[in-house]
Amino acid sequence: MAIERIFKDEASEEKGERARMASFVGAMAIADLVKTTLGPKGMDKILQSTGRGREVTVTNDGATILKSLHIDNAAAKVLVDISKVQDDEVGDGTTSVVVLAGELLREAEKLVAAKIHPMTIISGYRMAAECARHALLQKVVDNKEDAETFRSDLTKIAMTTLSSKILCQDKDHFAKLAVDAVMRLKGSTNLESIQIIKKPGGSLKDSFLDDGFILDKKIGIGQPKRIENANILVANTAMDTDKVKIYGARVRVDSMSKVAEIEGAEKEKMREKVQKIISHGINCFVNRQLIYNFPEELFADAGILAIEHADFDGIERLALVTGGEIASTFDNPETVKLGHCKLIEEIMIGEDKLIRFSGVQMGEACTIVLRGASHHVLDEAERSLHDALCVLSQTVNDSRVLFGGGWPEMIMAKEVDELARKTPGKKSHAIEAFSRALLAIPTIIADNAGLDSAELVAQLRAEHHKEGCNAGIDVISGSVGDMAELGISEAFKVKQAVLLSATEAAEMILRVDEIITCAPRQRENRM
Amino acid sequence: MAAPAISIPAPSSKTESYVDNKRKEDIRQANIVAARAVADAVRTSLGPKGMDKMISIANGEVIITNDGATILNKMEVLQPAAKMLVELSKSQDAAAGDGTTTVVVIAGALLKQSLSLLSAGIHPTVISDSLHKAAIKAIDVLTAMAVPVELSDRESLIKSASTSLNSKVVSQYSTLLAPLAVDAVLSVVDPAKPDLVDLRDIKIVKKLGGTVDDTEMVRGLVFDKKVSHAAGGPTRVENAKIAVIQFQISPPKTDIEQSIVVSDYTQMDRILKEERNYILGMIKRIRATGCNVLLIQKSILRDAVTDLSLHYLAKAKILVVKDVERDDIEFITKTLNCLPIANIEHFRAEKLGYADLVEEASVGEGKIVKITGIKDMGRTTNVLVRGSNQLVIDEAERSLHDALCVVRCLVNKRFFIAGGGAPEIELARQLGAWAKVLHGMGGYCVRSFAEALEVIPYTLAENAGLNPIAIVTELRNKHAQGEINAGINVRKGQITNILEENVVQPLLVSTSAITQATECVRMILKIDDIVTVR
Repeated sequence: MAIERIFKDEASEEKGERARMASFVGAMAIADLVKTTLGPKGMDKILQSTGRGREVTVTNDGATILKSLHIDNAAAKVLVDISKVQDDEVGDGTTSVVVLAGELLREAEKLVAAKIHPMTIISGYRMAAECARHALLQKVVDNKEDAETFRSDLTKIAMTTLSSKILCQDKDHFAKLAVDAVMRLKGSTNLESIQIIKKPGGSLKDSFLDDGFILDKKIGIGQPKRIENANILVANTAMDTDKVKIYGARVRVDSMSKVAEIEGAEKEKMREKVQKIISHGINCFVNRQLIYNFPEELFADAGILAIEHADFDGIERLALVTGGEIASTFDNPETVKLGHCKLIEEIMIGEDKLIRFSGVQMGEACTIVLRGASHHVLDEAERSLHDALCVLSQTVNDSRVLFGGGWPEMIMAKEVDELARKTPGKKSHAIEAFSRALLAIPTIIADNAGLDSAELVAQLRAEHHKEGCNAGIDVISGSVGDMAELGISEAFKVKQAVLLSATEAAEMILRVDEIITCAPRQRENRM
Repeated sequence: MAAPAISIPAPSSKTESYVDNKRKEDIRQANIVAARAVADAVRTSLGPKGMDKMISIANGEVIITNDGATILNKMEVLQPAAKMLVELSKSQDAAAGDGTTTVVVIAGALLKQSLSLLSAGIHPTVISDSLHKAAIKAIDVLTAMAVPVELSDRESLIKSASTSLNSKVVSQYSTLLAPLAVDAVLSVVDPAKPDLVDLRDIKIVKKLGGTVDDTEMVRGLVFDKKVSHAAGGPTRVENAKIAVIQFQISPPKTDIEQSIVVSDYTQMDRILKEERNYILGMIKRIRATGCNVLLIQKSILRDAVTDLSLHYLAKAKILVVKDVERDDIEFITKTLNCLPIANIEHFRAEKLGYADLVEEASVGEGKIVKITGIKDMGRTTNVLVRGSNQLVIDEAERSLHDALCVVRCLVNKRFFIAGGGAPEIELARQLGAWAKVLHGMGGYCVRSFAEALEVIPYTLAENAGLNPIAIVTELRNKHAQGEINAGINVRKGQITNILEENVVQPLLVSTSAITQATECVRMILKIDDIVTVR
């Protein structure tokens, strides 16, 4: 007798062919969604929030788009996840990885329809991926030794990354900004010390790199607006009133003068605290909390620059870059690490006044001030710049470089194709499919640019049969061009990550033959 | 909610040639149409004969304005692309302060042209790229047209301020407000940093009553406050010594909760006496420094002054202004060249500010406090705006802000160019000529943009009730003959040399309008999908 039902109410189960179809379709839909953002002529998307305020984001960044989607398909979620991982790991190529995985699945679908077992496909894909990686490894260029060439490599990579983003018109400018900022990091991948400040107004071209730290705060009244050789104490302490913080504590007195005495005592406590802070030998005090009028005046009298209400992120960064520590008690001046910088001054960006700390101890720190027409432009510019910075900081460590513009995909496709010819058995179909999926990337780049992709890709393939070819798609002129001359480069690390994680994701989805949807947790009806 | 993204079944991508699918076309079209609707809404307010809009806000308030940024700000648009145009006018407001309508109108015209280019089958990125090129070229053309101006040349500055004011409700007062704006800005320019003007150093005080004619610039400090003279204290003090205090002259209050226990009658008497002594002690200390004017910061924790302390202060002949906002303290101390005093212990003579006269003046129904003849006054200025009703005052303030911004632009970038549609027509002409030497589709796009820029003179003429086509054609004709400063003289209803008519505007306003409008249009063009997200 057949078992009627194993699962709970509302839980559903999809099996075999159906499950596979569901995951294929979901994954491909996601890939198609972001496909049009690929390449230098890719389009942007508006993300309209359904939440309060109906905020609008305009973006070209695959990871940002996918992150914010409502998704109800298990396989689609896998793709979203790999794009997230790609974003965390290398920062760029978030769209490519999803598109490649989608294409791999599209090819797999055809193979499955031709009655090839998913496991065969998987092992074919694995062999193909390994082979493709080798092909790339053989072609990489490493210019780490030669500082001059290395820098130009970095600039090229930055330009390539930025060319698909909103910053593409001023990519020379921003590539230089990004390279300068990353070179300052001296090999660390800690992007924390690069601060990005967004100020609406002006145009993107007016953005600049400032070698220092900029805090979006005001200097207290009557205090010096400019300090040289500053000793900075960064603190998180209450500077409003030092209350006795026991609940219900109250004072009972029988005369007005005693109240005045207590008030005086409170003032005195605050004065002591300020005195303690001053005795650290500082001339700049940055507090996360409010500084009331009274201590503010005391600081002003002592000629100390006091900044109140710096946000949490602000003081942590400030402590980091000036080399200080965030203090909250002031009894032992000798144990508190002070921050130092050469100059603190007030500067004006647009309509706002900000405070600049220049010549900070941590030489790596710098601030990029972005200007742009609107918040949308600025937000997108920040995301783009962040991508470029991520890629660059990764490249500084792993300085292997490849050409861009569909060149690596062509190289890989060629090698994989050859492997397919050598491999006996059904696997070779899967390997061939892999190479077709790789070719889809240059095809999409050409498609997005409104070019005749079939013609271009065929031309490219012919070019690549020659030895030592640098041909790729030159989207600007709409023809096949020499990537070395055009200066289009990509980081090896990004390409490798795209290749490997896309293959893994495709493999994972291929393995699925059953989807079980658990019963949704019942919400209590509070009507 | 079902996932909208997944609901579209994946089409199998067998097609290798370029097809932009229907949905994407639709979205682009919808965006452009929505954005243009916004642009059309403000179009009629452009120019000296532009009309005003009356906006009634949800809470029943009514605003009458001609300022593009304000109109758009109050319009509650939901469509994402339309929102971007609103943002655009905001950022023009931040960057240049004026030309907020112009920038939206230009963006609308560019979008209109883009739409026809798109339907001709040109790829959006090609359009976007040529737009960028055209914008760069446009800036060059504008810069070449510009006339340098010196800050000492007050006449020219006034001219450009009045051009800005002429399109506002308060245009009949432009002879008064324009010089006022110029003087106000020039008075806050710091000789050490000649390029920087912080408009926060100019405080605008609004007071109902009178007419806009009575608006004046006060070299000193104006408060929209009354002198507290409950107990008959002075309302006019000559040779004032002013203290800005951040403590309160009232019975003491601790931060810890406190209560005074009164157990018998004599104790009550004693407490009353103590309170009196306490306040008297404070006032004596204040008096000892020679201070005779007190500005007291507002406090939420306790009363700034009590009746009792007011009484003693009146006796000590000290003028008191209470409830000064904390945000204003910086401005006040900068103006008075004094330091705020947060504690009675620190009340010393060197922290005081000095002024020749502090007096309470009645203005209309209300009263204000004026401090004039300040010794070593900081680089700040006060402007007292008057008007017969709240709507007029608000609009006057906005217009004055625009005029101030215009002068600030001239301080930042010391060039001005002709107004009256002259630069736009010249741009259209030069870009049109340039398009002919460009290769490929770019040339075609640039030519359309050149035409799009003619929207400004067209709208100016239209709003002035002139025949737009006749005017624009004649303008083109004049410009082709090399009269680059020929523009629409709205007052005479004909084409004249607009520089001679004193219609000028800062270069920065025009360049920023062009760059910002193109940046925004390019962004809208590149969008091919609207995705609903969390």
